[in-house]
Amino acid sequence: MPDTDFVKGKAGPQGMTGDQRISGPHGREILVDIQGLHTHFHTPEGVVHALAGVDLQLWKGRTLGLVGESGCGKTVLALSILRLIPEPPGKIVKGRIFFEGTDLLSLDRDGIRRIRGNKISMIFQEPMTSLNPVFTIGSQIEEVILLHQSHLASTRKQARAMAVEMLDMVGIPYPARRIDDYPHQLSGGMCQRIMIAMALACRPSLMIADEPTTALDVTTQAQILLLMSELKEETHTSILLVTHDLGVVAQSCEDVAVMYTGNVVEHAAVEDIFSQPLHPYTKGLMKSIPTVEARKWGERLHAIPGNVPTFRSIPRGCTFHNRCEEVMDICRKEPPPVFCPFRDHSVRCWRYAN
Amino acid sequence: MKPLLEVRGLKKSFPMTSGVFRKSAGSVIAVDGVDLDIYPDETLGLVGESGCGKTTLSKLILALEEPDSGSIRFEGVDVGRGRGGSLAHVRRGIQVVFQDPFGSLNPRRRIRAIIEEPMIIHREGSKAQRLKRVRELLEMVGLHEDILQRYPHEFSGGQRQRICIARALAVNPRLLICDEPVSALDVSIQAQVINLLVDLQKELKLSYLFISHNLSVVGYISHRIAVMHKGRIVELADAAELFEHPLHPYTECLMAAVPDARPLREGKTKPSKRNENSAQDVASGCAYRPWCPRAEAVCARETPVLERKGDGHFVACHAAAVCA
Repeated sequence: MPDTDFVKGKAGPQGMTGDQRISGPHGREILVDIQGLHTHFHTPEGVVHALAGVDLQLWKGRTLGLVGESGCGKTVLALSILRLIPEPPGKIVKGRIFFEGTDLLSLDRDGIRRIRGNKISMIFQEPMTSLNPVFTIGSQIEEVILLHQSHLASTRKQARAMAVEMLDMVGIPYPARRIDDYPHQLSGGMCQRIMIAMALACRPSLMIADEPTTALDVTTQAQILLLMSELKEETHTSILLVTHDLGVVAQSCEDVAVMYTGNVVEHAAVEDIFSQPLHPYTKGLMKSIPTVEARKWGERLHAIPGNVPTFRSIPRGCTFHNRCEEVMDICRKEPPPVFCPFRDHSVRCWRYAN
Repeated sequence: MKPLLEVRGLKKSFPMTSGVFRKSAGSVIAVDGVDLDIYPDETLGLVGESGCGKTTLSKLILALEEPDSGSIRFEGVDVGRGRGGSLAHVRRGIQVVFQDPFGSLNPRRRIRAIIEEPMIIHREGSKAQRLKRVRELLEMVGLHEDILQRYPHEFSGGQRQRICIARALAVNPRLLICDEPVSALDVSIQAQVINLLVDLQKELKLSYLFISHNLSVVGYISHRIAVMHKGRIVELADAAELFEHPLHPYTECLMAAVPDARPLREGKTKPSKRNENSAQDVASGCAYRPWCPRAEAVCARETPVLERKGDGHFVACHAAAVCA
C-alpha cells in the first residue's frame, strides 16, 4: 500500500457517531465501514432482500474488488453507499455506512449531495450511455468542476483549462483539440477515460467503478485497468471495483470481497483469496475458470452445480447450501455468521466454526 | 483428412453512408481475404476484438450474407452458389448458437415448439417422431422433459443456452457455429455450458467454430485457434502452441491483455500502452502497423500473407521469426 500519513482520529471531526472503527489491523486506515446493511426492494411479488446484512471494510488507498454473479447485490451495494437506490421501490432498511467518520445514512439530502461526486464518485459500466450525447465532453467535465470545485475554478475559462489537464491525465492525446468532441466521436475506451476524468475531477477519496471494463475489448480493458491503478497511486484515491471477472480482480485489486445472494461470503487480501480460498463458493468459482493448460491435461472444467437462486427461491439457512459440496446439517438450518479463521480473512461458512 | 468446411479468399465489404441523404462514403471491409479449414470433430476457435469481422465471417458461412468474392465449400457443396436443395443441405449441416440466450428464443412459443421448429422446416419425421426427438435432445443437453410445455421466460440464462443448443442440434448438424455462447453467462454457469459442449462434441462427432473474445475460454475449448484482425486471419495454430509461442505481435498483445486469474504468478507482462488515437485504417501494407512495435519499412509496402512458420503454425507478419 502507498505510505499514507497515518493520522488516526483525524477522520471526521463532525458527526462522529459512536462505534466507527478508525484503524484496522496493520495500522491500515478504514475509509468506509459498512455495518449490517440491509437494502430491500418492494416489488408486486414481494420484498426482495437485495442486501441481507452486509459487513464490509474498505481500506484507505487500496482497491477492493467486489465479485459475484449477476443478481448477487454487487451493484445495489455500490449504489447504497452513494444512496442512489431509487426510492420507491428500494429502501435501505437497516445498517450504517461510515465514511471518513460520518454515517452516510444519517445525512440529509444536502449532506449526501456534498459527498457525491466530491468525496465519492462513480463510474458506470456503459461509457457510451453515461455521457450526454448532445454536449461536448469538455462541457460535461467543466460542469463537474464548476459544480463541485468552484473554489478552484469559478469561470468557464478556468474550468476549461482544468478539464484539458484532466484529459491529459487520463491519457487522451491532443486534449486541447479533443475537448470539443462529442461522445460519439470517441471510441468506447476513450469514453471510459472521459468518465474516469470526470470521476477524478474532484480528487475524491473513493471512486466506485461498477463493471468499468465489461463493455470494452480485452486490450482496451487492460489499458483502462492500468490507467486506474496508476491514477490511484498518484491521487491516493481508494477504489471499489465491482466486477464479475476474477481475472480483473487478480490483476488490479489488493483486497477481494465475494458476494452471494446479498451477502459478503468471503473477504480477504487478493493473494490469500487466490492461494487459499475458504468458502466453497469461492473455491468453486476459482476452479471453474477455463485455461488452456487444463484442456491439455484433459481436465473437465469444475462447474458449480445448480443455478444462482432467484430471490423467490433463496434457500433457508446458508443460502449456498443447495449448491455446496461440503454441506453439513447445520447449513440447512441456520445462516452462518462471519468467522475469521485467519488474520484478515473472514468467511461466512459453518466449516470454519471452530 | 478432408476438411468439413473450406473457406477460400473470402471477402465482404459493407457500403458506408453519411449525412441526411445517405450519400455513399466508401465502404468498410469486414472480411478481407480469409482462408480457413475446419476439419471433422474439431473445434476451431476464432478470437479478435469487436469489429474485426468475426460475426460477419460466421454469417457468410451460414449463407446469411452473400460474399463479394471467394468461396465457401461445406462437404463439397458451394455455400455461396447453393440454391434450393443444396442450400437446404448446407443449412441443415451448419447450425448456430448465438450469444444472447434471452434474445434468441421466441418468448411466445413453448419449449417444445422451439426445439421442434428446425425439424418441421426441414420436413423431418412424423409428429410422434419429432416429439420423441425433442425429448432425446432435452436429455442430451441435461434438461428434464417436464419443461416441454413451458415458456422461455421461466428459465435462467444457462438453461436457455441449453435450449438453444438443443434446438441447434435438432437436425443433426455436422458443424455448430457458436458465436460467443458463454459470454452472457455467469462464471459458474459458463463452466457448465462449456462442459456440455465438450461432451456433445465427443458424443455426436461435431465440429465447432467457436467465436469469442475471451481468450481463456477459447484456449480451453479449441483444438486450433485463428486470430483475426481487421478482417484478416493474422495467426493460426494449435491452441497450446499459440499460447506458448505466439508469433504475431497482435496475438502477443491480446495474450498480455487477458487478465490472469493467478495474481501470484511471477513476471506479469504489463499490457502495452497502445495509442488508441492512431486507430485510423492504413491504406496499404500491414493493418496492424500503427501499433506494431516491430514495424519495418517493408510492412508499409506489402500486406503480409499467411505463411507457414512451423508445424501447423501460420502467421501473417513480415517480422515473425521462424519457430523451431
